Amino acid sequence: MAFLRLRDLSVEFSIYQGSSRSLKKALLATSTQGNLARDALDRINVRALNGLNLDIENGDRLALIGPNGAGKSTLLKVLAGIYEPTQGRVMASGKVSAILDASVGLNPDATGRENIILRGMYMDIHPREMRAHADEVAEFTDLGHYLDMPVRTYSAGMMIRLAFAITTCIPPEILVMDEWLTAGDAHFLGKAQQRMAEFVRGSSILVLASHSMELLEQWCNRGIFLDQGRVVAMGGIKDVIAAYKRHIDAPHPPARAAAVS
Amino acid sequence: MLNIGELAPAPSRTTQAAADVVEGLDKSWLWMALAVQDIKLRYRGSILGPFWITVSTAVMVGVMGVLYARLFRAEVAVYLPFLTVGLVVWQFVSTVITEGCSTFLAVQGIIHQVRMPFSLHAYRLVYRNLLVLAHNLAIVPIVLVIFGAPLDWRVITVLPAFLLLAVNAVWVSMLFGMVSARFRDVPPIVMSFLQVAFFVTPIFWSPDLLGVWKPLAELNPLFAAIDVVRAPLLGVAPATYSWLVLVMTTMVGGCASFALFARFRSRIAFWV
Repeated sequence: MAFLRLRDLSVEFSIYQGSSRSLKKALLATSTQGNLARDALDRINVRALNGLNLDIENGDRLALIGPNGAGKSTLLKVLAGIYEPTQGRVMASGKVSAILDASVGLNPDATGRENIILRGMYMDIHPREMRAHADEVAEFTDLGHYLDMPVRTYSAGMMIRLAFAITTCIPPEILVMDEWLTAGDAHFLGKAQQRMAEFVRGSSILVLASHSMELLEQWCNRGIFLDQGRVVAMGGIKDVIAAYKRHIDAPHPPARAAAVS
Repeated sequence: MLNIGELAPAPSRTTQAAADVVEGLDKSWLWMALAVQDIKLRYRGSILGPFWITVSTAVMVGVMGVLYARLFRAEVAVYLPFLTVGLVVWQFVSTVITEGCSTFLAVQGIIHQVRMPFSLHAYRLVYRNLLVLAHNLAIVPIVLVIFGAPLDWRVITVLPAFLLLAVNAVWVSMLFGMVSARFRDVPPIVMSFLQVAFFVTPIFWSPDLLGVWKPLAELNPLFAAIDVVRAPLLGVAPATYSWLVLVMTTMVGGCASFALFARFRSRIAFWV
């Protein structure tokens, strides 16, 4: 049975800019005294997630809700194994697949057909297995002879069709997704909706981050509302959306005050 | 991601780093395919394909071989094979060091979007450069046949030599990749160092020319890397310390690189 469990999880990282990117400055800074060192290395520490506890069980369709900078993307990346927590633990059973940016691994100089195999490799799918799906993917894109041309000649819409068709051809056990399906003509969007529904049905767990409440209500049964790296509300999707709406309508958001420590 | 039960203790940093190195090796199909793809795309649209590498090296060796034989007052038949092997190995070594500075920076888009063992990016880089090396090596038998090198059984020692070079290439690309991801002024520093190293290392000149200073040049690990391949192909014994220096470099560098990787592996995703 697939599951994802987070225990007391925090993610903290430094943002390096300017002189903190320099080895020369770092070496010079460490040879001077304490306070100066901190000034010379102008690092900013960010606590993106703060003491999260979360159980995601088999069959859960979890929505991540929250304002910009709430930690949604960081949480998705932690669940996908891209970021490792600074404190606490992630326990996972099942293969996690993340769709954060559908065009990752697409090579502009390779043809559409080559990119089907190539993108598959980045999704940890062996070319042998991917070849079995290549025709189905090619047909879904409706790109015809464009598939034999380099991807850099594609329009943005064509690129999204290709990326979408490839990423949704094999449902993973645990699917972690950022909302990204935005472009495409009406006909394609209709087809895409249907394919997406099948794709999501095929996986045991879905974690979806989005700003669109309609989308989240359509796809998810549970939700968590994050703000400043902490969980503000957790529960059934309708309740969490209601809590979020109350929060953004409130003149002095209570969650924000509570997060200040 | 690993299957971890609730009660199992969290694995240590060293265990996780070792698991990364092994998991990367286990996905050899992936880095081999990606490396082949890299080479294919780099030479797409050219008639000779990857053999452009071979042709450009041949031209360089031909021109430099004749010119420098004259400058050093050496026989072309002796000097040209010496220079050919030296340059071919140097190109491998220097490209691994240069590209090693962007082991992780070059694939930051992937690191931010997909979980993969970090070692996989190093294996891909090394394998790609081994493929380039294989294309370049095509010149060597031609040169050796033309100038009739006196080969003997010792020529088989090039096999362990290449193996050691590959192992060194892995730790170099991991170490330089990490340091450059954190400190962005490292790649230009390494570049200027390499330019100097090309002239200081006995690649196109023999350490014999140094007289009493000869042992100093022979302790240079870059020379050792070239010598263990070059000497057996020219039918001579490698310099006294070459194998020792190379084995020591492999062990010390490998340990340092792994220690740093174990300590900072989880930060790489935030650095790039």
